[in-house]
Amino acid sequence: MAKAKDALLDPLFNNNPIALQILGICSALAVTNKLSTALTMTVAVTLVTGFSNASISAIRKHIPNSIRIIVQMTIIATLVIIIDQMLKAFAYEMSKALSVYVGLIITNCIVMGRAEAYAMKNPVYESFMDGIGNGLGYGLVLLTVGFARELFGSGKLFGLTILSPVSNGGWYVTNGLMLLAPSAFFLIGFIIWGLRTWKPELQE
Amino acid sequence: MSNDSIFKTFLVAFLLCVVCSVLVCLAALVRIDKEAYNQQLELRQTVLAAGGYQQQIDDGANVDELFTSNFERKIVDLASGEFTTAVDVATYDQKAAVEDPALSVKIPTDKDVAGIGTRAKYAAIYVDNNGTVVLPIRGTGFGGMMYGYISVATDGTTIKGITFYSHGETPGLGAEVDNPRWKNLWPGKQAYSDQGTLAIKVVKNGKFNPSASDAKNTIDGLAGATNTSKGVNGIVRYWFGEDGFAKFLANQKAKRG
Repeated sequence: MAKAKDALLDPLFNNNPIALQILGICSALAVTNKLSTALTMTVAVTLVTGFSNASISAIRKHIPNSIRIIVQMTIIATLVIIIDQMLKAFAYEMSKALSVYVGLIITNCIVMGRAEAYAMKNPVYESFMDGIGNGLGYGLVLLTVGFARELFGSGKLFGLTILSPVSNGGWYVTNGLMLLAPSAFFLIGFIIWGLRTWKPELQE
Repeated sequence: MSNDSIFKTFLVAFLLCVVCSVLVCLAALVRIDKEAYNQQLELRQTVLAAGGYQQQIDDGANVDELFTSNFERKIVDLASGEFTTAVDVATYDQKAAVEDPALSVKIPTDKDVAGIGTRAKYAAIYVDNNGTVVLPIRGTGFGGMMYGYISVATDGTTIKGITFYSHGETPGLGAEVDNPRWKNLWPGKQAYSDQGTLAIKVVKNGKFNPSASDAKNTIDGLAGATNTSKGVNGIVRYWFGEDGFAKFLANQKAKRG
């Protein structure tokens, strides 16, 4: 049980997939201009990593070594397609805002990386927890970046106005850079800096 | 049996494919069921927003009810400016028609102020019970093609609203075409001058003079989005022009006397 707890909590700070392993950056840039898209992406990736890890772990003793990457890929792709289709069916606006980035979870290195590095060697429950943990670690960074970008870029949080922007007759001059993808690079850079100052053992 | 035997490899691959494809099929069935409705709902919201019903939507009115009780879809032949039954009103797809040589016409470069190259011969418009017409418009902005609707009152010149439903403009700058404050500059503006010539224009932000004689034909552009403003200017100049809806609007006005 202690192992499962570690598998769940380690990826949040000690072994964060974005901040430490620098994986999954592409989508972290693309979907963080609003908190709502960042949250949806977090949930989608967490579900995919959790269930792909669990199902790959469940059949790990039967996966032929020569086709193991393709087997992992097929399972991940199936889960991503299911989530993509469900978003299109039940959250149409959100699926339009996320556009191709839901489909691109398939190529997100975190999912594949955890399947290969953890799920192939560990029991189902621990693997599931590891997947959820890594999804949440990814989401933690996404939500932090999304919070800063939406607040300073549009003066809003979850679409609710916090700082009344000039374009709507308020006082807050919005920071246009925050609405563009490069700002996420700077923010993730600051997060990595902060995390490694807080936990010096993470420095390479 | 060894995991790496050829038989086991094929067996695992086969079983995995069967299970995964069943799951994907089930997900697709659910999606197909809902997607058509979602797209229809989005179109209805856009038409209602452009047609001056944004307030009711914000107040929580039922979009489907509001749409079906007010709007009717009709097909306009842009060359003659009359309603037509040449294509089926329920199934006609204007975006697809642009790609079909039989249903589209090339626009000469000198007339193509909206930067669209080819336009469909027939336009699918929405007519409000009160006579307002909601017209589809499109053209090249700063970040690719912009699609939207603009509505015109029964006098054939007074604009009642504009909404873009698909564009790739820069967030915070050109994407402010979606800002309600900017959209609110449009209602009441006149597409044509008192003499009936094309007069509507979007000027660079800050160049708008409220006391000028053409103020009622002029919309202030977006701050920091000169190219988007130029794009929107081209779009309205084209679609209110002779090649666009000018004949249709004149015909409608003439019929009403």
